Amino acid sequence: MLSKKWLVLAGLLVVVGILFTACQPKTVVETVVVTVEKEGTPIVITATPAPTEEATPEPTGETEKVGGPGDVYRIAVLSDMTTQNVWAAYDPDASIWNYAVYGSKWPSAYGLSTHRWDFVPGIAADNPSDLEQEGDFWVCTVPLRDDVKWSDGTPITAEDWAWTAQTVLTLDLSGNWEAYDGDYLDHIEAVDAHTAKLYYHTKPGLARHQYGVLMSPILNKAFWEPKVAPLLDEYAAIADMDHDSDDFQAKREAIVQKLYQLDPTGEPSGGAWQFSQWEKGAYSEISAVDSYYDKGLKVTEYANGALKEAWPGGREWGFGDQSGDVSAEYTEGPWFNSVVFSIYNADAALLALEAGEVDFILTPNGLSRGQVDQVSGNPGISTAQNPANGFRYMAFNFNVKPLDDIAVRQAIDCMIDKTFLTQNLLQGAAIPVNTIVPEGNSYWYNPNVPLFCDGLSAKDRLEKAVGMLKDAGYTWDKEPTWNESRGGSVDWGEGMKMPDGSPVPQMELLAPSAGYDPLRATAGVYIEQWINQLGIPCKANLTNFNNILDAVFGGGDWDMYILGWGVSAFPDYACDFFYTDAGFNVGHYSNPTFDKMCDEFYAETDMEKARDESFKIQETLATELPYIYLFTTPMWDAWDNNTVIYPFTDINDGIGSGGYGLQNYVQAVQ
Amino acid sequence: MGKYILQRLGQILVTLFVFQTLLFVILTAMPGDVTNRMLTNPDIPPEVRERTRQALGLDDPVLVQYGRWFQNFITGNLGVSYSEYPTPVIEILEERIPRTMVLFLAATIVQFVVGFSMGRALAWQRGGFFEYGSTIVGVTLYTVFTPWFALMMIFIFGARLHWLPLGKFLTPILWRKVDIPGMSDSLTKANYVFTRMLWTATAAFVIWLIMAYFTRNLSHTKRNRTRLIATVIILAVSIGGWAMVDIGPLAWDITKHMILPIVTLTLVGFAGTMLMTRQTMLETLREDYIQTARAKGLPEKLVRDKHAARNALLPVFTGLIISLPSVISGGIITETVFSWPGMGLTLLNATTQEDIPLVMGTLSFIGVLSLLAHLVADITYAFLDPRIRYS
Repeated sequence: MLSKKWLVLAGLLVVVGILFTACQPKTVVETVVVTVEKEGTPIVITATPAPTEEATPEPTGETEKVGGPGDVYRIAVLSDMTTQNVWAAYDPDASIWNYAVYGSKWPSAYGLSTHRWDFVPGIAADNPSDLEQEGDFWVCTVPLRDDVKWSDGTPITAEDWAWTAQTVLTLDLSGNWEAYDGDYLDHIEAVDAHTAKLYYHTKPGLARHQYGVLMSPILNKAFWEPKVAPLLDEYAAIADMDHDSDDFQAKREAIVQKLYQLDPTGEPSGGAWQFSQWEKGAYSEISAVDSYYDKGLKVTEYANGALKEAWPGGREWGFGDQSGDVSAEYTEGPWFNSVVFSIYNADAALLALEAGEVDFILTPNGLSRGQVDQVSGNPGISTAQNPANGFRYMAFNFNVKPLDDIAVRQAIDCMIDKTFLTQNLLQGAAIPVNTIVPEGNSYWYNPNVPLFCDGLSAKDRLEKAVGMLKDAGYTWDKEPTWNESRGGSVDWGEGMKMPDGSPVPQMELLAPSAGYDPLRATAGVYIEQWINQLGIPCKANLTNFNNILDAVFGGGDWDMYILGWGVSAFPDYACDFFYTDAGFNVGHYSNPTFDKMCDEFYAETDMEKARDESFKIQETLATELPYIYLFTTPMWDAWDNNTVIYPFTDINDGIGSGGYGLQNYVQAVQ
Repeated sequence: MGKYILQRLGQILVTLFVFQTLLFVILTAMPGDVTNRMLTNPDIPPEVRERTRQALGLDDPVLVQYGRWFQNFITGNLGVSYSEYPTPVIEILEERIPRTMVLFLAATIVQFVVGFSMGRALAWQRGGFFEYGSTIVGVTLYTVFTPWFALMMIFIFGARLHWLPLGKFLTPILWRKVDIPGMSDSLTKANYVFTRMLWTATAAFVIWLIMAYFTRNLSHTKRNRTRLIATVIILAVSIGGWAMVDIGPLAWDITKHMILPIVTLTLVGFAGTMLMTRQTMLETLREDYIQTARAKGLPEKLVRDKHAARNALLPVFTGLIISLPSVISGGIITETVFSWPGMGLTLLNATTQEDIPLVMGTLSFIGVLSLLAHLVADITYAFLDPRIRYS
């Protein structure tokens, strides 16, 4: 009996010992916060000084690929990829988890530079020719490089591009394949192996041309043509049917489904990485392509906005005045033999990073502030904060009176104190936003849009907002006033009437619940109060995300809602959201002047002019306020500074979401 | 008995129909559909979403959708997943089931053995520190918030002590270097190993059962000794066999990853079996035949194990049989916290993405198994307890 008691005691001691060992405090290390001014956007890099007795980590550089721990770049992802089939990956299976693994596998003629999002050549040898009219078509010629090869050693040619475009156009593929937009593009002709000629039946603007067809993926014709040919034959057999008939659509869909199921095993890569293996539910791996044509490409960015690309063979390309201060310089790899994407849940991913099991965590929304705090004391982990390429906003239904009145929208905007909201309520977890183009997209961002009541006190906001409404003819049974006697508060307006004398109806503000997004839920509650202070009866309804989508996009009954957008590099979304009768224009904003501006913007082919037009569009939207832009959240990334080093960490939308972990540039720490 | 089974099968079909109909109604009543995710991408025009809805048949009336699904179901076609379009649902289930089975079968068995053994011991030695301690610890763990507890286990044993892996079911850095010659392209390496682990466990179990059958008439002491030696030999042969094959290290890697989830599941679940066993044992111990056995001078251990525990086993065993479908359905919480990509995680992801075919397929599969498990439990009752007769 005695021995049993001792056994129990020993067991308890073991448990206590385990807990004691596990709860040992972490080493506290001093953290230095460095703020880097980058084109007006502060980039905060939290770095921890390396121990003095150890050498500062150095990248392995261009010398050689490292073996051992540096052999593999280990990325934690939160979800599995869903397909290897490129046709499906660009349509129904489009997700960051697929793109992160093999998004760079398919080349394009042009692309956006990873760091600064400059328009740069991909497999193109030089800039595209200007669009010119040739008969019924608008044409553009693109010279392609003769040194670019697929991973099987065969050249990437104009034939590949022409075949890809033709297949997409024939089968009328949707999703991200819409970049080959059949409403504009007629076909692509391979003039010779290294010259492609694009034929548009309608003159395209930057969105359809530069940011559309020129950046679209190019597939390997030799690999895919034999697989796709039977499907094209099947399609040819139904091509004469009425394309609007259900029968045709069902048959077309059956063909497309077969396309999505084609086996991609052995497909050559046209980028830096070749798909290697996929253990479903556990990990996927890509391997470096030794013959990658851009390996060793040195990119020099100048403070004046110019850029120079220099290849090891002496070839160069660039734009702008390539002199003066160099703002960034980096060399393209890949510098690892492979990248392994391991699947974790968010909590385990962070623990894995701390335990040295992974080098980087890739998340589409960045790490939360709490997660960053969790790792911030760890000397082996660095974090970086970048602006997100998106925003949270509040939208109005113009079919509901008085929300169609600009004075009401401006008055509400005036009442919303974004600084108080982001700094005091959300405790710095968000950054105020004033225009539809996020600040991180610096080329297109207009910093000078009109602001109402910016920097005013609560009292001044109220008085200015009430003044706006009074000027527009609104009246109250009891006008909202500032009450100094209670230390400064608002006596809410009551019985507000519209200019025609009818009472302002009860309004509903839909916002995501705190479980989905506490930031938007908090904002919703406070905005409800501010609207009510004006005398506009408003009730915030914090509800399921899908309920809001259903009400707003499903043609339901709604007055105002709060949601968010993650947007693309080219700001044509501003027009897509608000052009009269556009699909995303669920608030029914309609302004012929705005439509005209959008028509010009859509058709613009000159970057500088397009920028000016975008600025005007942003000014119009910031004045008319079909959306009130609320805030954005910073994108936080964390990585193991003992194993990897990035040539830059200031990247719009973050290293993970914006740069997919910078696979082509990351180097191993020696 | 035959008539009873047929009658129960008829009831199962009706229940299954009602279950699936309710399931479909609930799922389609959820706001939005799988194409909602397109609404968050400004690059995909709303027209494309509409076309996708048409292509998936989501714009059809609910009755038409249900009819289509049910027709497919009775012909053995569970449709294609929307979230992994166009992968067939059955393919996804085939991939996830072995992973869940290995983990939850092992966890259920360990949980049962620990719970039953402790319950039996508790009933036998009442009033001591062991009883109070075990009951308090067991009930505390039984009522603890499982996700928190699982995270604490990962934090303590994975992140701080580095004794066990931080979730997942394998170590990518190890597996990426291994090629398995002759493996079918349709299988993943993990499933190849999982399947063989399951076969090994099944074979070992069958051999053990045969051995137990042939040793049943030996004396108590001799039988226990023989069974112990045989168990050790079976385990040694199984482990030795795995150690000699190329995929042995992979199986060991999976086993290492299973320890933490199994320990967690056992700790949070053993108390249920323990308390039930204790209760039924206490009732059994009051029976006359126990007193008779003691009066005959039989050793206490023999009275406990052969006369009391065996009779107390019936309700506990029934509980085990009925819980077996969870071996297939897995646990959403456990699989999520331990990043174990089995049926539970699949169900969670499919539900949040409103992938109706995948949710329907998963739950239908689990539903069928649950109904069959109940049938098996009823039939097993008759075998375990000769007093039970079905007519």
